[in-house]
Formats: sequence, structure tokens, C-alpha cells
Amino acid sequence: MPIFDQGYQHWSGTLSSHSMRWWAITRHGVRVGLRSWIVRIALLLSWIPAGFLAFFLSIWGLLERKSELVAPLLPLLGFLDPAVLENPQNYRVEFWTLCFDQFLAFELFFSMVMVLIIGPSLISQDLRFNAMPLYFSRPMRRIDYFVGKLGIIAAFLGLVLVVPSLMAYVLGLLFSLDLTILRDTLLLLLSCIAYGVVIVLSAGTLMLALSSLSRNSRFVALFWLGLWFVSSIVGAVLKTVDTEQRRHAHFRRVYEAENAEPMAIPTNRDEQRQQQQARREQRRNIEEEFSANELKSAKSNWRPLLSYAGNLSRIGQALLNTDASWRRLAESRPENNRQRFMLENMGPQYPWYWSAITLAGLFGLSVVVLNFRIRSLDRLK
Amino acid sequence: MLFQLENVTKTYGAVTALNNLSVAVPSGAVGLLGPNGSGKTTMIRTLLGLIPVDTGSGSILDLDFRSQQLNIRRLVGFAPEDECLFPRVPSVEFVAYAGELVGMSTKDALQRSHEVLDYVGLGEARYRQVESYSTGMKQRLKLASAIVHDPKLLILDEPTNGMDPAGRDEILQLARDLAHNKGMSLVFSSHLLPDVESVCEHVIVLGAGKLLAEGKISELKQVHRHRYEVRLKAEPGVFAGRLQALGCLVDYRDDLLLVQVPDGETQQMIWRAAAENREQIRSLRPQRSTLEEVFLKAVEHA
Repeated sequence: MPIFDQGYQHWSGTLSSHSMRWWAITRHGVRVGLRSWIVRIALLLSWIPAGFLAFFLSIWGLLERKSELVAPLLPLLGFLDPAVLENPQNYRVEFWTLCFDQFLAFELFFSMVMVLIIGPSLISQDLRFNAMPLYFSRPMRRIDYFVGKLGIIAAFLGLVLVVPSLMAYVLGLLFSLDLTILRDTLLLLLSCIAYGVVIVLSAGTLMLALSSLSRNSRFVALFWLGLWFVSSIVGAVLKTVDTEQRRHAHFRRVYEAENAEPMAIPTNRDEQRQQQQARREQRRNIEEEFSANELKSAKSNWRPLLSYAGNLSRIGQALLNTDASWRRLAESRPENNRQRFMLENMGPQYPWYWSAITLAGLFGLSVVVLNFRIRSLDRLK
Repeated sequence: MLFQLENVTKTYGAVTALNNLSVAVPSGAVGLLGPNGSGKTTMIRTLLGLIPVDTGSGSILDLDFRSQQLNIRRLVGFAPEDECLFPRVPSVEFVAYAGELVGMSTKDALQRSHEVLDYVGLGEARYRQVESYSTGMKQRLKLASAIVHDPKLLILDEPTNGMDPAGRDEILQLARDLAHNKGMSLVFSSHLLPDVESVCEHVIVLGAGKLLAEGKISELKQVHRHRYEVRLKAEPGVFAGRLQALGCLVDYRDDLLLVQVPDGETQQMIWRAAAENREQIRSLRPQRSTLEEVFLKAVEHA
């Protein structure tokens, strides 16, 4: 029994407008989510790649300024052509693009993990604890509910993707001490944000749809894992099988062509050396020809489309225009090594809009599932 | 007027949940009675604007329930019948969240949450996870989350379901206090007639989606002109026999005699008989229908 029981008091405050009602759901979800130590650890881990990104961007900034501090760190950039390192300012956009591309590849993994941790319980627990009447007996539309739940995923993905990108970008900018960098690379930052929006809309709605299908969030998590890993494995296996088949066919043809005309037996050491040189050259050309063919056939290879994460990754590459950067870097290579360099480094080459259509299809399907599942629960009993 | 429905019909496939229902209810505490499947829940859904009706119109708190659903739900607090929870939160956060969903600021909602939890008697348990609450505590929690934004109308759907007598009394006391002392209108849907009778002054009886009876409980419980309740100082058996000999229909339970005098006679007949038999009458009053009788009669006529 309280010492002073004031009883029921009327409340005379004002209520906010309907337009921001989703925000209450998002705010509450983020508050509850951040209480989980798993979420906090996942967040901390997801910021590690941002540290590396900032580190490399800073090195590049120092390299552009010809700082002596960067000399001991040059071996870290050994994968780049010496011509690039001699004139780093000319390759600024390419370097930044590739750094962000790598960063986003890591962050895509952490995004999927974060969605796995945060997402499954978002709707399934509301179903399990019968919370729908509590939501919909209040001034709340279904769209407010969906957007509010999506906002929770967006907030955490923002912390994984956008915030670290922004911080790394600012650090890179500070170390370069050159305002032209802003002009050259601002588009990259905007691309990162756009990529974050794509992941939020796609993975967020997909996870919400999955979450609305079961009252048990463990099943939802397993389904998400299956979708992520199984689709990636299937896509990768089919792509590898296809590539290996072409490789075998190509080299079988080459072998047959080589053996069709047997080489004359060398009479002296010089002739032997010339023959070896010619054979090496021939093999290199064959490799280069194979690489060129592979790059060509990669443009119509649909197999990576089967991977959900692969589709997201393809959109990221298209937004950052990573392929253009690899092509520019390839130009600094010897002519007979360019195709191979590009083949080894560039990702899938099929048109990006194939992935966009696939993701849009999944988005549509998710919206239909959500619409169907939550409509049937829009009742009191 | 608290709410009014005009010729409202709502069907679910072949089932007609509300059948050309017209009702106008004044402000105050209103009981919603009816057997299972009578349309009570559909009526509540309709009032909250959660479902579209086939035909008909109406308003609640002077707002059209077909076009102003969101505004209605700002002014109404609703405690559903089923067990509903926002999971993984302590009750103080549960109630604050309910307030935020209506549009309260975080600060206001939290402050108000503490107040209403104290009011419903959950102050001591405010930091406990709601999943660990007993049935009675969950009912009080639902009530707290329904009144957190100080609604003009509170709708309680079977609020005493599954509760022990003490908990039930507490809920009824809270509902009575809100309706009678705090100026909050109340729609109280229940199967338990004594609960409705103890809280409400107005009642609506539904059956098969139709309005079977409606009005003030005091008026529905009409006075019987020829039936009286009589209590005597002595054993009533002998006096009952005497009254029967005079042509009265007599029934008695314990020390209470239920006497129906013949047409044309009044209570004076009972006084005379008592005087002649030297019986001492302790009380004599006209018999009134109970709410149960009103309800059964309405359902029978349907």
C-alpha cells in the first residue's frame, strides 16, 4: 500500500500526429534490441572493417601527400602496379572505390548476421504473444506497423553500414587534407547510403515476411540462414561447374591444336630457348584468350543470380561502379595480362538489373506475404 | 451520445454478425451482454473502426466510425479479452509503449505509466517482466495500458475472465471508479451479469446480431405490480400456508417469501393476513426482476 495514494489523475498532454506513429515502434524496437549483448557484440565486430577502411584511406591520403610516414606501409599496397603508386592522385577514385567495395563486401556479411539476430522475433513474437490487438486497437495502420518494424532493421543496418562508412570517409578525408577529394569521392558515400537503403528494403522486408510466417522465431532464423547460405552455395557451385566445363573444353581444344603440329627438335640451345619462349607466349595468349572469353560469357551467366547475397553484392558493385575501377587499373598492366587481371578481380558481370529485378521480385513477394499475414490478424480475436 | 449505430449490418460470408442493428447509447457505463456469437465482439470491432461494415452508419464520440477510425482510437482505450503482451519488457515499459503508440511523448508516456500502474495496483511489480505476471496482474496491466492516455471511452472486453474472486472485485472496483468517479465512459462486455450490474447503469443485450434489449438497468429491472418480497420475524411456513389459502401464489427461499397476490388485491392483503395471524413482518417490498431475468427473457424472445 503506497504511503500516499493519489488515485487516478487525468492527463492533459497532446498526442502527436498519425504520420510519426511508426517511429514509436522503431524506437521501442531499437531500445529492446540494444539491450541484447549479442547485438552489441555484433555491432562492435561489424565496425572492425570500418577501421581497416579508414586505415587504408588514410594511407592513400598520406601517399598522395608524399608523406614519409607511409613508406613502411607501402608493402601493404603491393597488389597495385608501381605506376599507380607513383601517381596516386590519378587513381584516387579507383582506390577509394575498391576500398569501399571490399568494405561493403564485409559489411554485407555483417548485415546479414545483424538481420539474423534482430529480425526473426520482430513479428513472430508479436504473433506468439498475441500483441496485434494491442497495436491495431490504437491509432495505428498496417503500414505504420510495417514501417515501424522495418525501421528497427533499418536502424541496425544503418549502424552496420552507413555510420561506419561515414566515419571512415571522414577520416580518409581528414588524412588527405585535400578538398578535391570531396568532389571526387562524394558519389561513393552516396552510393554507400543508397546501397544501405537497398539492403534495408530487400533484406528488411524479406525478413519481416519470414517473421510473419511463424510464431517461433527460431524457425524464422533457420529459414533465413538457409536462404542465405544455401542460395549462396547453390549459386557458387553452379557457377564453378559452368566455368570448369568451359575451361576443360577450351584447354582440350588448345591441347589438340598444339599436338596437331609437333614442334621441330631444337638443334641448339638458342633455338630451344626460342621455342620455350614461343610456347610460353602461346600459353599466355591462350590464357588471355580464355580470360577474354570468360569475361564475355560472364555477361550472360545467370547462375550467380541464385545467390541472395550475391544479388545484393551485384547491386553494390553497380552502385560503386567497381568494374570501371578495375578496368582503369587493368590499363596499367601489360596488354597480354589485362583480361586475366580483370577476370581474377572483377565480380559477376551479368547486367546489374537482373539482380535488381530478382530483388524487386522478392520484395514484391515479401509485401504480398506481409499483406496477407497481417491482414488476417487485423482483428480482435 | 456515447455512440450510435444505424441499421448496421456486418456479414462474414454466410454468417451475419450484426443484423440491421440500430442503437443509441448515452455517455456513462454501458454493459454489453449477449450469448456467444451474439455479435458483441463484432460490435466492438465496429466501434473501433477495425472492420468495414456492409451497410449502415454510425458514430462514436461524435466521430464517424467509417471514416475517422484513427481519431476514434485516440479517444478510446481498449483492453482485449485475450491475453495480449508486448514481449520482453517490464510492465512500466509495456504501459509506456502503449502510450507512445497512441502518440504520447516518451517522457509523458513513462511518467503516466508509473501513475496508472500505481492506480491499478501494480506499482510494486512495475519492473518485473510481463511474461511472469499472473492472470489477474495481466488483466490489470491491460487496463493500465488502456487508460494510459486518459481516454474518453474505455472498452473492456471480458475483463474478469479467469480471475479469482479477489482479483475480480479489484477489477470491478477500478472499472466502477473510472466510470462513476473519473468521468470516463465505459463499455463493459461480459458474460457475468453480476459484474455488469455492479459496474454499469446502462445495458445492451445482443442476440444473433440483433438488439434484444437496451436501456437503463434500473428501468429494465421493472417492479412487479402483484409480487412482493416478504420477511417475517418467525418461521414463514405457517404464514405461507395461510396466504395460499387466501389465493396467493407463494414461494419461499430460506426466510424470504415471494408472494403473488390475486388480481385486484394489493399489499394490504398481506398486512391484513399478518395482523390476523399475529405475524410480525420485518420487511415487505415489491419484487423487481433481476438482470438475469431481463437477460433470459430477452434471449428467449429472440
